[in-house]
Amino acid sequence: MAEDNREPLAGAGALREALWALLPPTKEELVPELGEKVELGMARLLQEATELFCGGRRSECLQASEAILDYSWEKLNTGPWRDVHKDWRRVYAFGCLLKAVCLCDEPGNAPAVAEALKVCDMGLLMGAAIHGDILIKVAAILQAHLPSGKRPGPARQQPGTKKARNDGVPVPDVASERPVPRLRCPSLQHFRKQFLAPGRPVILEGVVDQWPCMTKWSLEYIQEVAGCRTVPVEVGSRYTDEEWSQTLMTVNEFISKYIRDESRDVGYLAQHQLFDQIPELKRDISIPDYCCLGDGEEDEITINAWFGPRGTVSPLHQDPQQNFLVQVIGRKYIRLYSPQESEALYPHETHLLHNTSQVDVENPDLERFPRFAEAPFLSCVLSPGEVLFIPVQYWHYVRALDLSFSVSFWWS
Amino acid sequence: MAEERRGSWFGFGFCGFGQALGSGRGRQVHSPEPLETPGPGADVCRVSASWSYTAIVTRGGQVQLSGAAGGAAGGCRDAWASEALLVVLRAGPAVGSRPELQAWAPGSALRGEPLWTHTLVSEAEREDAAGGEPQARALPLLPGARAYVSPRPPFYRPLAPELRARRLELGGEHALLLDEAGQVFSWGQGRHGQLGHGTLEAAPEPRLLEALQGLPMAEVAAGGWHSVCVSETGDIYVWGWNESGQLALPTRSLAEDGKTISREAGWPSEGDSDVRTVGSEDGAPAPFIAIQPFPALLDLPWGAEAAQASCGSRHTAVVTRTGELYTWGWGKYGQLGHQDTTSLDRPRRVEYFVDKRLRVRAVSCGLWNTYVYAVEKEENGQPQPRA
Repeated sequence: MAEDNREPLAGAGALREALWALLPPTKEELVPELGEKVELGMARLLQEATELFCGGRRSECLQASEAILDYSWEKLNTGPWRDVHKDWRRVYAFGCLLKAVCLCDEPGNAPAVAEALKVCDMGLLMGAAIHGDILIKVAAILQAHLPSGKRPGPARQQPGTKKARNDGVPVPDVASERPVPRLRCPSLQHFRKQFLAPGRPVILEGVVDQWPCMTKWSLEYIQEVAGCRTVPVEVGSRYTDEEWSQTLMTVNEFISKYIRDESRDVGYLAQHQLFDQIPELKRDISIPDYCCLGDGEEDEITINAWFGPRGTVSPLHQDPQQNFLVQVIGRKYIRLYSPQESEALYPHETHLLHNTSQVDVENPDLERFPRFAEAPFLSCVLSPGEVLFIPVQYWHYVRALDLSFSVSFWWS
Repeated sequence: MAEERRGSWFGFGFCGFGQALGSGRGRQVHSPEPLETPGPGADVCRVSASWSYTAIVTRGGQVQLSGAAGGAAGGCRDAWASEALLVVLRAGPAVGSRPELQAWAPGSALRGEPLWTHTLVSEAEREDAAGGEPQARALPLLPGARAYVSPRPPFYRPLAPELRARRLELGGEHALLLDEAGQVFSWGQGRHGQLGHGTLEAAPEPRLLEALQGLPMAEVAAGGWHSVCVSETGDIYVWGWNESGQLALPTRSLAEDGKTISREAGWPSEGDSDVRTVGSEDGAPAPFIAIQPFPALLDLPWGAEAAQASCGSRHTAVVTRTGELYTWGWGKYGQLGHQDTTSLDRPRRVEYFVDKRLRVRAVSCGLWNTYVYAVEKEENGQPQPRA
């Protein structure tokens, strides 16, 4: 009688070994060190869950992890996000760690590995780093044990190919508008004196030519490197709309639903620190040299990914830091208004949206917002390889003219 | 006044710390079980449940803790349990001395010194503390209604005297107050619509719910991120976050899960709890509601009138005038009592009490569990006088 070729078993054993190799060696070191904010009940549960984990009592540990996750999730949703104590985010990450490893304990269960990766991503998205950012390493191992992310899509593979979507909005007549000045590789001093100090926008050319992302990135590549990873996606034309919402899905799901398909809804992978989540992508980018002109440390720079189909819109708004917007794939139409024009831009009065204008830039209601018509602005079409400097508090409006991938650097 | 028949307490939902829920075995109880009483013949008059432990107060003045926190003490009239703090209202240490409010660390087992005490000084405070129903002027509202207790410092929080508070409930990040005239006030965080003023803005001070003006309320209840109140005529109003269906409004998460019967278009039948027009003639489903920022009227099946409500972090429980219990919202830990762990975005009656011929009198929810006080029905079917 021929033996069953239990191929998954060997793989599963290797997976389990690789995961356990990442963990602290003793139970005492595995329990996270937390302060007083984490009260007696949770402190006890964390101890108990760790003991169950180390004792190999997998299903009981999963049960305890669920309670850890559900309770810390409630804490994460209580009060403003910036006031959520980091210890609760650590608890959440720890719950994700236990759950993910326990899920992978079952030999040869591929859907469990995919779920475990989702759990890791939740821990990365909402939790705080524990045990030397162990979730990143766990995620990398899980990703390696999943089938390759390469997914052949329908005919079109090249980014930038015109979509058949009939959105009816014409390409703006940029030639008739005042352009953002362009410079090729200016010196640090020149940039600082002419643009950074006085707060003037400029497009820098030639600065990111050598970045690997400029040649490597495509839909295929992104799916390969990040396809099974869970990311936050904004659904709806713009975040000021009533119908707008945020949801989570894998990069593969996002691409197939909002980029390849003729989806009625607009989906945007926006303002997400993708490069913290997926270190492999971070190797494809760098930090613009000009950031060294700022006061902050390099690790304080916030790097965000902006990835979406043609037609995504960021309503006119301002940010509290300097911004380098690096365009990698596709083109974006961008309008810039000086902070001095703020009154003519009619910012929302609520605290939540006070940095956002009420005006729809390309279709303004001039009866409600008469002064907007007279406000001077600069505009451009930002193309691959170009970097737009948006000075702090400078109002900006962005619409993607093609399938687009941008990387923004917020620095001070 | 007719003597109220002695009833008993039941519990269901999360008991992962072994807190009082009858069996104490396992981590979840999906159907009501009788509460183990602290001692022979002990008559439990108040149950206050936090996430990891439950405090029980008997008519004899004993407070008993079970779960992650243990211990017991006497001379106690009222207790309020939270993860950070256990607050008890005690008779004074010596005969004739003034009643005292004590705040304890839950892990202290009520031994040693409390973290904080407040002696009830004024006549109004002492009168309040001395007599009356356990449900009236319950903690965290202090006797005398001049202040309330918060689990986060400052622990002692004064209330403007003109508020004339009758009941006060604390949610996860907001507070509700019911005054003597039946008006409802809310304050705290508003980002989930739980304040009911129609916006997502926070309110630093108690603000009147204008949408409810002219409708005197009899009860209020605050959940993690939602609010419920019951009018004197037995109507229920809900507002706040509906992510698990805790407002009994259609929620996307349950529809996508496929674990809930999807709402049908067309007019609701009498047994259907959804009073809002359920959809158009072309069969389009009702829109999902994630946040309800101002009060919405909720009808129970068969026109049942509500008497009292209580909320857990993400579920809601309502007692009707005829002694039935309805629950809805998050059900993952069995806290809805329907013998399973599905969540619901519509009210469902807890059949256990009907089957056992029990008349539900009161409900008190912990974060992830539910405690119910019920009496046996009269043999001749006559309704008990409402105490």
